Amino acid sequence: MKALMSVAALIGAVGILLLAGMIVDIIPSNTVRLVEGYMPMQVLFELTLFVAGFTGLSYMLGSMGMAVPRFWQGILFWSFILLYLKYRVYPPIPFSVRAMYGTVSLIAVFMWVSANEEDWKKFKQPIMNILDAQTGANKLLRYAYLVLLPILIGGFSYNAMVPKSEEPIELRTVHPAPPASTKVHGKTYTLQTSQNPYRVNLEGKFDQEYSNANIVEQGMGRLMKPNANPWDKDAQGYLKYVREGGEIFFQNCHFCHGDNLNGRGLHAFAFNPIPANFTDPGTIAQLQETFIFWRVSKGGIGLPNEGFPWASVMPPWEQHLTVDEIWKVILFEYWHTGYYPRTWD
Amino acid sequence: MGLVAGKKLFSIMALCAMIGLLLLPIAVSLPTLAMGADAPDAVKKDGEAKVEKGRDVYYKTEGIVAGAPAPKTVDGPRDYPRYNFESRVLLWFANQQHLYYGSFVLAVPIFCMVIEFMGVVTKDKAMAKRYDQLAYDFIKISLTAYSLTAILGGILIFTFLTLYPAFFGYLSSIFRPVMHIYALMFVAESGTLYIYYYGWDKMREGFLKWIHLSMSVILNVIGTLLMFLANSWIGFMMSPAGVDEQGRYLGNIWHVIHTALWNPLNVHRILGNMAFGGGVVAAYAAYKFLASKTDEDRAHYDWMGYIAMALGVAFLIPLPFAGYWLMREVYAYRQQMGITLMGGLLAWLFIIQATMIGILFLSTNYYLWQALGRMRGAEKYQRYIKYLVFVLCCGYLVFITPHTIVMTPAELKAMGGQQHPVLGNYGVMSAKNGGINVIITTTILSFVWYMRGNKVSTVSWSKFGNIFMGCFFGCAYVNIVGLAVLGYYIPANVRVGLSVPQVATTLSCLFFMFALNSFMMKGAKQMGPIEWGKISARSQYALIMLATAFTWMMGLMGYIRSSVRLFWHVNEIMRDNSPWAYTHTVGFAANMISFNVLFFWISILFVFWLGSLGIKKAPVEAKAGVPGGAAQPAGSH
Repeated sequence: MKALMSVAALIGAVGILLLAGMIVDIIPSNTVRLVEGYMPMQVLFELTLFVAGFTGLSYMLGSMGMAVPRFWQGILFWSFILLYLKYRVYPPIPFSVRAMYGTVSLIAVFMWVSANEEDWKKFKQPIMNILDAQTGANKLLRYAYLVLLPILIGGFSYNAMVPKSEEPIELRTVHPAPPASTKVHGKTYTLQTSQNPYRVNLEGKFDQEYSNANIVEQGMGRLMKPNANPWDKDAQGYLKYVREGGEIFFQNCHFCHGDNLNGRGLHAFAFNPIPANFTDPGTIAQLQETFIFWRVSKGGIGLPNEGFPWASVMPPWEQHLTVDEIWKVILFEYWHTGYYPRTWD
Repeated sequence: MGLVAGKKLFSIMALCAMIGLLLLPIAVSLPTLAMGADAPDAVKKDGEAKVEKGRDVYYKTEGIVAGAPAPKTVDGPRDYPRYNFESRVLLWFANQQHLYYGSFVLAVPIFCMVIEFMGVVTKDKAMAKRYDQLAYDFIKISLTAYSLTAILGGILIFTFLTLYPAFFGYLSSIFRPVMHIYALMFVAESGTLYIYYYGWDKMREGFLKWIHLSMSVILNVIGTLLMFLANSWIGFMMSPAGVDEQGRYLGNIWHVIHTALWNPLNVHRILGNMAFGGGVVAAYAAYKFLASKTDEDRAHYDWMGYIAMALGVAFLIPLPFAGYWLMREVYAYRQQMGITLMGGLLAWLFIIQATMIGILFLSTNYYLWQALGRMRGAEKYQRYIKYLVFVLCCGYLVFITPHTIVMTPAELKAMGGQQHPVLGNYGVMSAKNGGINVIITTTILSFVWYMRGNKVSTVSWSKFGNIFMGCFFGCAYVNIVGLAVLGYYIPANVRVGLSVPQVATTLSCLFFMFALNSFMMKGAKQMGPIEWGKISARSQYALIMLATAFTWMMGLMGYIRSSVRLFWHVNEIMRDNSPWAYTHTVGFAANMISFNVLFFWISILFVFWLGSLGIKKAPVEAKAGVPGGAAQPAGSH
């Protein structure tokens, strides 16, 4: 048990040192890299390691007679989570989400320290000592709190109320609801039922399964499947149309959406927000192809009221591309990202 | 002897009366339904030229037009008469209060049925008496609430008639064949409830008790049918069927009732009502516990709170799955409706909803951990609670991560785009399914710990059983998280289907682990009794938090469900042309929901107070079964 706790304590100590180094900029933030694609699980795994590490540290310090009081354990753990979220995870997490996470962490700490009466008493003890103020030092602290707490609260209030020159927060709707149907080049398409006419097998018949089987594989990078190379001159059916869609994409779209479809094209950083990142699981992977068809056709200017604040400069591509070209470019986007369009059957 | 026979006769007559009341609306409805179906034929007989056919907007079947088109309303005193106040807000308030009380009075009789049944089957006489008294106390509270429900229903109808006459006229013309059935069901519900309540003492023992119990079943059947009918109206407003594009009734009332969202709404509401009812009763018990002056009272209300919480949570556990089904059906019905809800305009309200769901489960777990404190021998589990807190909160963090993030343009720029490589992954359904299943599985684990808190298994295979349980839970977590990760690599339609094995895993933990634990704890060595009443005050605040969160969430979900129609009274059939056909800001909606919650709790406190007046007058012997420290509520866990 002691050996296990020692290992855990070592992990905890190394973790704290690494984080401290990153905060004061002595250690580069990419020393232990967060790998894109694995980041969500990596963050959870790291937090699990830290919890194990802190348990070990607490155990070891306790066995050496240097136990950290429960009150400070709670405060330190919560502070650690806040610092971790701010300095470890990159790109930076917006304040609104950090505030949510911070609140949940605070609740978690409360649940931990008050899970049983003994722990709760231990946690409350320093607070009670100050309130009771039986010693001179505690009396002094009590007066200090009496002065500092109102100043602190006043400071927060002032900070919240003082007029700021920052741009206001925007609650941007990432996926505004589409209309039931859309008219492109004189033809009406019902978004619920329309299909991409180029999602076809070698016999030219609509075949979702066939096209799904030929998209690139996701993993460390995105890899073409064997015998599923759209740039093979003999490619037919779905793969041929993917190639044609790719050509259209690189002639028209990649300047903004990037050659890796991650929204980081040549012109991308001239805009705020930068163009949509199709490799993110929250964009095209969540939508029907018809939704993309509607957005590509109508562009930023065609966003509905719900799309406030209409922060999109995408041109209405129906003015530049044919219907067939739009469908093909959509085909390519799904193929390249390795995502499947949403279907209901 | 004669007295007993007389009682039996009375009971059987009462039961027959209830069955009669139940069948009455159906009997009345038969010719009505038939008339509804035959009416077009009658028109046909009058002359072929008059027959006009229409196509059902949902079922796509042809039917003979048997109603007027949906009115095209204009903003003015004819269609939208008003006071100097927003009519929609008044209607919102009236509707929400009616729904709160309606849910409560539909849920409590189900509790009574379960608790009365537990009392009947329990061999321990003292326990049986306590269960019976508890069920009686519940129904007494519900009786006052029932009157208030009817009053609020009246207020709601008057509000509709006064402020939205055109819309209400259209809706009642569509539902005309079943409107009076609904009213008669109310009569049946009231009659049954009164016979059930006032017959309690007369049918206390033996065969008569079983008849009394049967009455509770009938009462609940009527209540459930009532709710189904009410649900059909909101189902029609969201996903109309049985009418053509102009909103003309096509003669098939079943199509009008059985819309795309009716069944998921029914299931979701039954479970929701039960969880809500449990929460309200638990909060009542918590309040009484905190106000108690004697150990005896504290013990009673501690026990009452525990039972109500356990019943509420039993229905809370499947509730997210029912919600998931409802959302799936919404998406399948109209993609844009689903997107407005989950990814668009109302997405942030869903994040608030996720936060509230998390609070419900956190409160439940916290209560159970606190409850371990009243058991001797439970210390061995308490030291591991911190790990449960961590797992629970990891699931919670993922579950509440928004897909649409609130941020300043500067933060947006720093993030390098709208999508974040961590938050973006947590923000989609695949991760959220994993998150909520982790939360529920952890809650089940907390329950298992609670159930074995003061016991040591004496079966010969207990070591093996413990290892098996540990492995089972471990595998469940791996499976849930693994499937959540897999969800990113497969087509969306398969991904949606992954929720089935995830739910199955969670429910397997619930049923198999509860069953295994029961077998292991049969004849277990008791480390000490459950010391009812010796629980921290924090636990009672957790119960109050649980109830408040339920109430708030019900208000929120009602608002979301209603506002997803955007500017339609009846989706795509009847447009809302009032000046209030816009979606409120999140802040306004939150304030309005909070006001409704506050009003409900103040009014329900009044109901509780009325109930307490009755209790004070009750004979002393009614309290005979109140648990003290000695008796063990064997069936309570």
